[in-house]
Amino acid sequence: MKSGPFAFIRTTTFRLALVYSTLFALFSAGLLTYLYQATVGASRAEATARLEAEFRTLAVAYNRGGPERLEQSLLERALVRVRDFTYQFETVNGRTIVGDMPRMPVDTSDDLGEVRRVTFEVERPFADRSTDITTIEGRIVRLDNGSVLLVGIKMDERNRLVQRVTFAVATAAPFGIILALLGGFFSASYASRRAEGLTRIAEAVMGGDLTQRADIGSSGDEFDRLSERLNAMLARLEDLMAATRHAGESIAHDLRSPLSRLRNRIEAALSDDMTVETARDTLAQTVEEVDHVLSTFSAILSLAKVGTASGETFEQIDLSELAEEMAELFEPACEESELGFESQVEQDLNVIGDRALLAQAISNLLDNAIKYSPAGGAIAFTVSAQDAGVRLSVIDSGTGIPEQDRERVKQRFVRLDRARTLPGSGLGLALVDAVAQLHKGQLLLDSAGHPDPNTGLKVSLILPKRV
Amino acid sequence: MNMRVLVIEDDIEHAQFIEKVLGEAGHNVETVGDGVGGLVRAREDQFDALVVDRMLPEKPGLQLVEEYRNAGGTTPALFLSALSEVDNRVEGLQAGADDYLAKPFAPSELVARVEALGRRQTQGEPPVTQLRVGDLEMDLLSRSVHRGSTKIDLQPREFKLLEFLMRHAGQTVTRTMLLEKVWNYHFDPQTNVIDVHISRLRSKIDKEFDHQLLQTVRGAGYCLQA
Repeated sequence: MKSGPFAFIRTTTFRLALVYSTLFALFSAGLLTYLYQATVGASRAEATARLEAEFRTLAVAYNRGGPERLEQSLLERALVRVRDFTYQFETVNGRTIVGDMPRMPVDTSDDLGEVRRVTFEVERPFADRSTDITTIEGRIVRLDNGSVLLVGIKMDERNRLVQRVTFAVATAAPFGIILALLGGFFSASYASRRAEGLTRIAEAVMGGDLTQRADIGSSGDEFDRLSERLNAMLARLEDLMAATRHAGESIAHDLRSPLSRLRNRIEAALSDDMTVETARDTLAQTVEEVDHVLSTFSAILSLAKVGTASGETFEQIDLSELAEEMAELFEPACEESELGFESQVEQDLNVIGDRALLAQAISNLLDNAIKYSPAGGAIAFTVSAQDAGVRLSVIDSGTGIPEQDRERVKQRFVRLDRARTLPGSGLGLALVDAVAQLHKGQLLLDSAGHPDPNTGLKVSLILPKRV
Repeated sequence: MNMRVLVIEDDIEHAQFIEKVLGEAGHNVETVGDGVGGLVRAREDQFDALVVDRMLPEKPGLQLVEEYRNAGGTTPALFLSALSEVDNRVEGLQAGADDYLAKPFAPSELVARVEALGRRQTQGEPPVTQLRVGDLEMDLLSRSVHRGSTKIDLQPREFKLLEFLMRHAGQTVTRTMLLEKVWNYHFDPQTNVIDVHISRLRSKIDKEFDHQLLQTVRGAGYCLQA
């Protein structure tokens, strides 16, 4: 990551905090505006409404009883102590008839009957020489006899409310923005801390340490899910690395001995006096040995390939059809080896898998059955639905495998003593096992259920329908 | 059948081996050691078959065959490669090769496959409906087989096997070729399953007759010959 005095600007933390605080500021502004409208605005509207109602009442009084009735109404109102209205009634030449103020505080209009809105301030001195400025909202009209009426309503209360709300808004806003920044910072720093954790894992893995795992929290959020997948991926990578390393070691280990044998044979042949005949024999043996090395080599490679395969070549396979083809391919070979062959294949069993590998696996199982069954024996090949998958079994009438060896023979290059005299690389079952694992299936070895426990082996390949 | 084969292979020892093997089988071989030169030769001259290594200097084999095909080249090509997995095989065939042989290979396997390519070339356009080898006749439309006047009943797979042998009559076909082309499997069963199928087929087409058509070629495979 790039560093510098302003590197923090590029961090998610900073950006998120900024976004959060902007959003919060906008929200606060909206809320305060609404609050202002709901209180101050409403209060103002109410005052104006009252002012207009009062003005209309007086207008009615004037219309009904002329200036005298109006004057009387105003005088009645002057007797009421607590009121927020203020009145000023003047004659056409400016003499005050009824009035709270010494003179008309605003200009009067010359147009008769036209009501004007006015706002003005009245200064009232107190005993302690301080003054109180009152804001008044008023309606003024020149009546048809030329006299002027002004009705006002004191807005002080409302103005104080305005001040308080404004003050509240002014004090609250910075706190709100600070809170928003903090909130943004904390939530963003949580995200960035988690991301930072993943970055560290990635760096460790790049450095060759595949054992690192990301922390998984308990909340099950996106980061937990990402960490889980990442860990699963790392586990898979670790397996693959181990498989590759293992294959490499096996190649080194298992090809070394036949290659040294080969070398010794050639060296011995070189030091002998050779006739064309013996040279030919030696070379023929050598070719045979090399072929063996090569086939072991390809077996190791295909085993390694199965171990590292990912299932991308998987497709829908009619396993019944594949099994029948394999049965058809091997049936004559059984007959040739004087073995009875019986196959029972249930129809329309589909699995998702790799066709070539499954064919190879079935072929290995049938190869083994033929190889280890004595003449006169029998082989049964069955394919049937089982639970959520398919069970593919090969039962032979060979000598079986003792219970304690049944897991061991799945390993590479493990050959039991009684099998050593027969050709084979010791990789056949290991490959079937690897194919089973690739398909999330199982390879099971069992006795064939023959009365003599040393007769017969039942090898089953269990494949789930979906991988 | 004498064929002109262009071998494009950079490993000199390997190239000499191929030249020797194909030469002994009676074919004329020309060898080029790099991809660019190989493509030039393949274009300027009319060969019966190309044998192309996958890993070549200058231009990889895959690209070579692809370019050759895109430019309208029709000579059948066989890939030779140490990469033998099914995916690699599919890649090779998609690039326009006609066959794929993994290293190491038996000499007889190479000869059989190269000759199979040559036969493909000379087969010509009109689709064949009848195959004939000696007095053995196969009608591909009615899917019936006769030897002389005797009708021979074959299982579907035996029919396919015989069809392949008849299409390559006079050539040696190997067990691997049969497993690949007739059964469409690309692995080596340890048990000699193919031999048994062949001997069953032989008992049907040859047993009652004096002249044996289906011959075993020692150390190589089988050959159907009049």
